[in-house]
Amino acid sequence: MFKAKMADAKFLKDMMGAISILVDEATFDLTPEGIKLRAMDPSRVAMVDFEWPKTVFNEYSCSETMKMCINISELLKLLKRTGKDESVELSLDEKTGKLKISIRGNYSRTFNMPTLEAMDEEVPTPKVNFNVSARTTTQGLREAIEDASLVSDHVRIEADNERIVMNAAGDIMGAKIEFKTGDDVLLEMKAKEASKATFSLSYLSEIVKASVPTSEIVVMEFSTDMPIKLDFQQEKDGKLKFFLAPRIEVE
Amino acid sequence: MRYSSIADAYERIEATTKRLEMTDYLVEILKETPTSLIDKVVYLTQGKLYPDFFGIEIGIAEKLAVRAVARAAGHREKDIEEDMQKTGDLGETTQKFMEKKTQSTFFSTPLTVQRVYETLDKTANSTGSGSVDMKLSMLAGLLSDASPSEAKYIVRTVTGSLRLGIADMTVLDALAVAFGGGKETREELERAYNISSDLGRVAKLVAEEGIERIKQFEVLPGEPIRPMLAERLSSSAEILEKLGGKCRAEYKYDGERIQAHKKNNDVILFSRRLENITDQYPDGVEYIQKHVMAKEAIVEAEAVAVDPQTGEMKPFQELMHRRRKYGIQEAMKEHPITLFMFEALYVDGKDLTLQPYPVRHEYLKKIIEKTDNVKVAESIIAENPEELEQFFEKTVDDGSEGIMCKSMNQDSVYQAGARGWLWIKYKRDYKSEITDTVDLVVVGAFYGRGKRAGTYGAYLLAAYNPDTDTFESVTKVGTGFTDADLEKLPKLLDSHKISHKHPRVDSTLEMDVWFEPKVVIEIRGADITLSPIHTCAMNIIREGSGVAIRFPRFTGKYRVDKSAEDATTTQELVEMYRGQLKKIDG
Repeated sequence: MFKAKMADAKFLKDMMGAISILVDEATFDLTPEGIKLRAMDPSRVAMVDFEWPKTVFNEYSCSETMKMCINISELLKLLKRTGKDESVELSLDEKTGKLKISIRGNYSRTFNMPTLEAMDEEVPTPKVNFNVSARTTTQGLREAIEDASLVSDHVRIEADNERIVMNAAGDIMGAKIEFKTGDDVLLEMKAKEASKATFSLSYLSEIVKASVPTSEIVVMEFSTDMPIKLDFQQEKDGKLKFFLAPRIEVE
Repeated sequence: MRYSSIADAYERIEATTKRLEMTDYLVEILKETPTSLIDKVVYLTQGKLYPDFFGIEIGIAEKLAVRAVARAAGHREKDIEEDMQKTGDLGETTQKFMEKKTQSTFFSTPLTVQRVYETLDKTANSTGSGSVDMKLSMLAGLLSDASPSEAKYIVRTVTGSLRLGIADMTVLDALAVAFGGGKETREELERAYNISSDLGRVAKLVAEEGIERIKQFEVLPGEPIRPMLAERLSSSAEILEKLGGKCRAEYKYDGERIQAHKKNNDVILFSRRLENITDQYPDGVEYIQKHVMAKEAIVEAEAVAVDPQTGEMKPFQELMHRRRKYGIQEAMKEHPITLFMFEALYVDGKDLTLQPYPVRHEYLKKIIEKTDNVKVAESIIAENPEELEQFFEKTVDDGSEGIMCKSMNQDSVYQAGARGWLWIKYKRDYKSEITDTVDLVVVGAFYGRGKRAGTYGAYLLAAYNPDTDTFESVTKVGTGFTDADLEKLPKLLDSHKISHKHPRVDSTLEMDVWFEPKVVIEIRGADITLSPIHTCAMNIIREGSGVAIRFPRFTGKYRVDKSAEDATTTQELVEMYRGQLKKIDG
């Protein structure tokens, strides 16, 4: 038996919006302690690591550990129908395999959608020793990425103890974006050693754009030519992290 | 099984031009394939996922494939497209870009044949909104895990350009060696393929159960039989000689060849190219359900468009209005069909393909219930060239393409998928196209049916022969009349109605009504042919034949300015026939 209620449906909508950036069919682990999901996009370039303990919900009950796979863009369509101050309740009917979505507020409506065959693939988190760790505002990072996207489809991120520099080089234009200690956007900066790595801007911008509604602060960690981790700090309990594999620099 | 095994085999096959070597490589890969995957591997080597008659294509547009490659390789679409302009082959370009892949991935896993097949299958089956994005991400996902060489073949497969040159016959050769026990078993395998049109199924069956099982292979309703084809000759004497002095000559209708499969009340219709065209012909389906008197049957028929008012056959172009996805009901009303049955290949558990043609024809006559829209193709048994020639001209005059002459010997089996001398086409070599209109005299009429009940359905028209001062029949016209015409023309004619054929009218036809030769109308026809029925120019071009205008159509002009004697003359028509002879291609 699984049932979970959230007083503000927007919260769920925003989170599903962020996850849907990478996965179409999402397999969630439902446990008595909460729900989680770890999945890669089909191209295996990016990974999402999501977890909501039961404390995030206003009501939560799950009798045993189980998997639930759903088409997340379909769920998102339903959640987009919610208005301000509406509540949402999810409940899984294990017999019919249907997920019931009840939205209450201005009026009540209940949707149901089929669950899909769960994927068995266990996705481990990448083991990386991160040399750089930076806390920035999510909005600040989003703006920086949009700046870089104007000139190129990839960006080189370099960091030392004082600053993060993003270099984007296109065919005709270039961009250099700098976050320095003391800037409003850069809250904290640590670097064991100076590092640099290059990433696809289409992935970066989609991830960050979709995560903005869920989080105000992001911790960004990376090392030279290693994956980057974007840990979007959650207001309540819970976590939303993305990993993105680097591009291989051909000099 | 790793997809790389297949990609390696493709590389080798591509590098050779020798069919024997190609077969050897195929044999190697087939032997390496687990039995459960044989069918999938066979489809994949031909760039397919299913046999053609399933009608499922992988169908990824080149543009979308470029996007997937861009995503997997981490390069820009623009660069990929530019390179493709140079190489002319997205596969090669893909390989090049995957070799200098700039995007790393997490936990890459080697591709298996199963995964490639299943992903492509999902891609082929995803439709509707959001399906383009789904296809893109599935394909990009596959490419991310692919080696450059694998990526090349995946891209070629999805864009339908896997041109390895592996013909059906090469696969059959390979199957014979790999599982049949040797080259000599190829014939049995080929027959199984010809009567099932499914190489994958044949491959799996021989791999699992051996060649003995293939020898017992029989036709099955639901699986199309590759059609038997005819050779062609242009003289009745030669044809009869080839066929042993005797043959059944059948009308070759100007329509679409259809293979109908009936299983209780389920009917599937296949085109000559074995596409499933069931949805295009709801009327055809109904005719098979109701008038093929067998629980299970496979029959062949020619579907011909008929004029809903007059019941006359219309040319093939008219039938093409039925080739559509939407508005099928409307098209069905405007362009109804008649089925002319000509083969019975399977009847209630009996595979008739190895029976001689006369036996099959007996079965056909037995199971077809004749109605206005379901007929057995008209035929005669001819034993001398004159009979054959007469029949030929009569059919051409009626609007047919010619005749099909079929062997009646003991060995006259249905040669599925083969072109042979058991069937010989006799088609016109020449036809004369009319570029000008002609003015003809209305001399008789048939009563109409359906919408034209109570008035005339078709009119008999004649040309004027000043030498004999007679009006010689040249064609029957039923098309081109507006509702207003249908009202006006009978009024115009009724004052000339007579109880018998007019003495100056020369015609062998039995009409419902005869008229004095007075009213002249303008006609446009497709061409002029020889005809044993019409009396115009009888014996002038050929002994026993006159000329006729095929596919006539009323232009809407009443030539009230012309008297009957001012109509187009017999001599003019002969000139037209001789002056505009054109060789028919194919």
